[in-house]
Order: sequence, then structure tokens, then C-alpha cells
Amino acid sequence: MAQPFPYTYYSCDCYDSATLAPTSKRASHPARAEEEDERTFDPRNPRSNYSLYPLEHLLYCEDCRQIRCPRCVSEETLNWFCPSCLFEVPSSMIKSEGNRCTRNCYNCPICTSSMTVSSLEPPKVPTADDTGGLAGPFFLSCPYCHWSTLDIGIEFEKHTGITQQLARIRNGGKVVPTPKEREKERDKKRDAEARDESVAKADELSPEDLNPSEPPPQEELFSNLFAFYKSQLSLAAPSNPFSPHHDINFSSPSSFSRIMNLYSSTSSKKQKKDKPAPMREACSITEGLVPYNPSLDAAAVEALKTHGWSHTLSPTQKLHQTSPNTRFINELRPIPTLLRTKRGKRCRTCRHILSKPESKITSTRYKIKLLGLNHIPRLSVRALSSPIPLPTMAASTGSQGFDYARLSPGLPTHFLLTLSNPLFDPIRITLATPSTTAGKVQSRVTIMCPQFEVGANTDVWDDALSSGLTKRGATASTDPGSGTPQVEAGKIWDRGRNWTSVILEVVPGFLKPIPGFDFGLGGELAKKVDDEHELDEDDDVLEIPVFVRIEYESEVAAEDRAAAGAEHGRAGAAGGKEKREEAFWCVLGVGRIVGGP
Amino acid sequence: MSRPATRKAAPKGEYIETDSGNKVSRRAAITGTANITLGGRTVISADVHLRGDLHPSRPAPSSSNNGPARDAPPTSISIGRCTVVSAGCVVRPPSRVSRGAVHYYPMKIGDNVFIGPNTTISAISISSHVHIGAGCVIHPFAIIKDNVKILPNTVVPAHMVIPSGSVVAGRPARVVGEVGEGWGVSAGGAGGGALGGAGGQGWVEGGDLRELVRGIR
Repeated sequence: MAQPFPYTYYSCDCYDSATLAPTSKRASHPARAEEEDERTFDPRNPRSNYSLYPLEHLLYCEDCRQIRCPRCVSEETLNWFCPSCLFEVPSSMIKSEGNRCTRNCYNCPICTSSMTVSSLEPPKVPTADDTGGLAGPFFLSCPYCHWSTLDIGIEFEKHTGITQQLARIRNGGKVVPTPKEREKERDKKRDAEARDESVAKADELSPEDLNPSEPPPQEELFSNLFAFYKSQLSLAAPSNPFSPHHDINFSSPSSFSRIMNLYSSTSSKKQKKDKPAPMREACSITEGLVPYNPSLDAAAVEALKTHGWSHTLSPTQKLHQTSPNTRFINELRPIPTLLRTKRGKRCRTCRHILSKPESKITSTRYKIKLLGLNHIPRLSVRALSSPIPLPTMAASTGSQGFDYARLSPGLPTHFLLTLSNPLFDPIRITLATPSTTAGKVQSRVTIMCPQFEVGANTDVWDDALSSGLTKRGATASTDPGSGTPQVEAGKIWDRGRNWTSVILEVVPGFLKPIPGFDFGLGGELAKKVDDEHELDEDDDVLEIPVFVRIEYESEVAAEDRAAAGAEHGRAGAAGGKEKREEAFWCVLGVGRIVGGP
Repeated sequence: MSRPATRKAAPKGEYIETDSGNKVSRRAAITGTANITLGGRTVISADVHLRGDLHPSRPAPSSSNNGPARDAPPTSISIGRCTVVSAGCVVRPPSRVSRGAVHYYPMKIGDNVFIGPNTTISAISISSHVHIGAGCVIHPFAIIKDNVKILPNTVVPAHMVIPSGSVVAGRPARVVGEVGEGWGVSAGGAGGGALGGAGGQGWVEGGDLRELVRGIR
């Protein structure tokens, strides 16, 4: 998700740790491990895209003592609901009706905004009797792009139950039988086929079936195929051969093999395993076969000729349609709204629940929520030279603020890196960063004070009561002015109750090599360097990988203490402290480097 | 409804602060003040246009059920606590033509809502802990539920319902993601967190905006 500068992303190493484990048996492993230690995190690595998350998206597993990103949690669906009408849909309905809203919620097939039901009746003259004015035919219309179902010739009689009405109307207003009626009809046809095979053959080749004016609608095709395969499955299912409901059919290979299996018990299991019963394919229209129809293609070409390019759909519009064969604007159907889910999350390694929202749709509270930001320090970065711009001002008016999108190359810029500690124990921080950033534009980065302490997250009031006035003064001093402290190596910039800020000096690199300075290379080699220097998109974004290691002493958790006490035979382990340590990579996006001087 | 406190002695500031802590810019254009309710500690920045004069013409059915609300002026805009309306916004109650006449509907904005600069809002309801970026347009009768983030320059079409926990962007707006579990939780855990310090801001998007409101003066 695009975030404005400056931003901080946290890296979850779940993928790396998962892939490293299986390779540990290899002979080359020690070398690899060393390499792993030496390697710095590269935010430009394509794989990094998938391991970087903002802090709000991270959870923390208290049992594994590790951050858990969306990749290393497993999700379980609590319930389904329609995002438009906010009604919960029971899971049985999901299985039968699919994951779309079956009420009146539809999205515009052109622009995806939600559609509203309107009346075609012209607004009546205001009268005294309040009938509500809901009369006449209705239609779905898009409030954004003004597409409406009238464009495809569909009107509704009622303003409710749009889904049922829409299922019966083909584009152009032609009424088609509902799925239930269709099913009945299909059953009838099949019965007829079964009764007289020769008649069925003739029926299949009837001119009406062979040359339909338009392809059968997708739902009909699907229901035909679905019914066909269901019948095939029931034939192939290894049910009890002596079951009275099952008529043994020797023409079916599956039932034949089943009967054979009755007599050869030894080979039966093997055979079952390695050879699934072959299934017949659909071979008639009632079974869901679609014969190729050249007239349809001709019609499509003709439509392209007459209506032109604007008559066709864009790929996204096509993808949103439920029927994959939609090609032209007049074939569009309103899209039933996709349902959304409420999901709980579990740690993938230890299966503990990390987050569990309340199951009620309208509730936004959580029963369980183990957040990453309650366990690992928040890193925030901002330019030192400017006061914090008020977010209530438009960017153009607040021009005195620092422009993160225009970092000048070669000019040392100071950033203020603040770490705030959510833990109730003071932590020791060690920061590390590669001195030059990876990628084509090499910027130099120096953390002025890489080792420091951050105070515990104690009660706010302790701080406010003890040093309320001095704190205000301290924050004021960070503003540019006469009292600005000097940037000094090895010293922290400022600190507060549970936060400490240090200075980050960045010399943004040059986007283009300086002309006339070809690194002492020959002309041809310099040209090659030039070619390599062709910038890709977002190569001018300055992202700084920072390795953060935190150390702290914490009260031993009760169960751990009990375990330790049992191990060491100590009874009075109360107040025992435990040294803990955590480390992770972060990426600070500080801005964009401008091209020319 | 909050009237500017007359006993405040320092009138030269940018904001007029009311008894309940609302900060209303002197440069804001507010019409129909009688129909506007501010919940307290709410900021109305400069050049904000609140159209309180566009109030429902007939008493709303809900107020007719409650006896005492008969004589009170109809509410057209009601804004909750610690909500920040940034510079250049237009807040206009939604309207529609019904039986030959234009009817306005009361709009409701919840608590801790941040509305970015130069945004136009006609939503019927915006719940709490919503962050709306700069330059958005929210068309009439949109419903925005809790914990929603609307990225800058989004156009939310009329009658759209944005379910809680969504990130919304685009023209027209569509749901592009979900806010994380940590949406609106400030770094220091409970109790205001990084007071005035961390990174220079004691507030997070979608979180408690009290710190931000305090900083505006």
C-alpha cells in the first residue's frame, strides 16, 4: 500500500527462516549461514516486497516470541457478509448460492460502483396522499457513470428481489425460465432420452439445438454440467454394492470394477489407489456440451465491424463479469456484490490465536488481539530541519515544510529517527545500517548514535507529574531556532519517557553519473556503466535498511518461572529477571531523490 | 450546539475555543450555526464551509418519536468529539428530490474522524476512527463505517457503503485493502502513548486525535 514519505516498514523473516531450515542438512550450509549473517537486507530485492509490512499489520505471537506478518499467520473465516447491505450470510448459503450477495446489491459492470434501484415513473405531482411513490417499472442505475440496466434492456417489476428477477430476464428483456424450471425441463428431457435412445439421437440433432441464435446462458451451462458430473460421481462413488438403491450397471466401468473387487480382496486396495475410475465426458447439450457454432463468431466479427472498438470491454470489466464469454457492452450484466469475510488469525507455527474479532458484523472490537506494535519499538523518521507540518493544511500552502519527494543529491540531510518503546522495561537498542544503500543510486547513510537506551513505557502520569515542564521544553528545543543542539556523533538527540531520538545523516546519491567523471574507466567500459545506470521506476526512492536489535531484562513469565524453578530446583525464583533479545530488519523510506541539481 | 465563549479574553488567535473545547477557525465559513452540533474538542479549520443552512424541512421521524425535540431547530450537521475538519473542506448535507421538492437529510460524523484538506463531504453518515485523505469527494448518501481509511484524491460514489476496516481508493472508490489489526493503536500502548514526542506526533491515523487537536492553536 502506498504510503506517503517518510514511512517505516518492518521485515518479517518468516520466508527466509522457512527456506533455510530444509537446506540445513546440506554440506554447503555453514558457508550459507555465514553468508546469511553477512548479508544485509536489500529493500530492492523483488522478494522484499512480500516481507515488508507497516507496523499496524503485524501481529506478535507471545509463545514463539516473534512478529507474525500476514504471510505467517493462517486465517479462519468467522462469517461472511455483504459489504453493501451489511447482512450476514450463513455458510450453508455460501455453499449453495456462492459468495455473492443474493439481495439487491449490485455493482456497475462499467465502473464497479454500487448501483441503486430507481423508478422509471416520472416524479409525480406532489399530492397529499403518501403512497411512497414506488410505482412503475424499476431499473438499476449507477450513480457514478450513469450506466443503467436500461442500456441492456432490463426493467424490473418490483424494487425488491432483484436477484430473482434478474435471473429470469435475459439482456433485451426476454424472459427465460428460472434455474428450477430449467432443471425440471432437463430432467424431463433426460427421461425422454432414457426411454427412447433413438429419439434422443434425433432430438440432439434437431435444427433448433444445432443452430441457436445465441449461446446458452452461463448459468444454464453450469447447471447442466453440474448435474451431469453429479450423476457421474454418484455412479463412481464406492457405495455398498448390495445397496438396494443402487442399480448395478455393467456398462459403467466403475461399477464393474467394484463387482470384481468383491471377489478379489487382496488386489482391491491397490487398484483403488492407483487408478481412479475413468469418467465419461458430457456428450449432449442437456449434459452441458457446447457445440462449436460458427455463426456466433461471425456475429462477433460483424458486431466489431459495425460498432467498433468502443463497443468492446476492457479486460478488467471482462474479468468482473460472471460469464467468461462476455465480449461486448450489450452483453454486460450487473455484477452481484462479492461478499466479504471476518477472519480470525492464528500463528502458523504454534496455532495460537493471534487475533479474533467479535463475530457480530457491526462490531469492530476484538476478543483477542496481539499486536506487533505492543511488543516491538516503533521507529519513526522525519526531517530534522522542519517542524512537523500540520496535517490540516494542504500540502501546497504548507510549503515551508520539508519536501520529502525532493531530496537533493550530494547534500547531507539530517533526519530524526525516533524509537518509542511499548514495553514496560527499559530496552537497549543497537542499530546498524549498510553505509551505502543498495541499488543503482548509492546514498551514504550514517547513524550518529547507533547504541542507546530507551526508557520503559511507564504510566503517563509519572512522567507528566515529575517532569511535565521540562518535557515541554525538550520538545520545543527540537524546533529550529536559537536553542538547537548541535548534531554530534555518539550522542542521542533527545529523549523522553519511553522514546529516544537519534540523528540519521543521509547523503543522497546521484541519479546520473557526474559527466566528465567516468571512474577512470575506458570509453567503452564507461558506456557500459552508463547502460547499467539506466534507472528503473522508483530507483530514485531512497529507502534505508536498518537492522534493529533490542535487549532488555524482563520479569520471567509465571509459567516460565515455574518451569525454571523445577529445572534448577530453586524455590524462591520470585522477581527473577530474564534477559531477552529481539532483532529485525526495518526499511525507512525517507524520500525521493530529485534528478538534476 | 456550541456557541463561541464570550468570556475568552484572548480573541486574537486563529481559533475560537468554545467551552467544550471545540476550536473553530475565524476564517471558517459556517452557515446555519443553529443546525450544527459539535461534540467537543473538534477542530474546524480555516476556509471550511459548513452548510448548516441546508437542514431537513420536515421533522425527521426519529425526532417526532421523542417528544421534546419538537421545538428544537432541526439538526443538519452533527459532528462528534475530537474530529478534525481540515482547511478548505466543504461539508454539505445530502439532498434528493422527492415529490417535486428538494429535501435535505441530516448528516452525522462520528468521533476521532480526520478529514483531510480540500475534501468535499456529503455523506449521510461517517462513523468513528475514520481517516479521510486530502482532496477526496464523498458523494451524497455514502455511508462510511468505523475504522476506514480513504486514501487521498478518492471519489466515493453516491450511495456507496464502505464496511468497517476497509482501505478505499480510486475514482470511483473501491475497497483496495484492509486496515491492519493495529489501526488506530498508538505506539505506547495504553494512555496516550508517545506524548508529544515520538516522531513529533502523538497521534496515529484512525486513533485518538486528542493530541492532534491539542497541537492545533
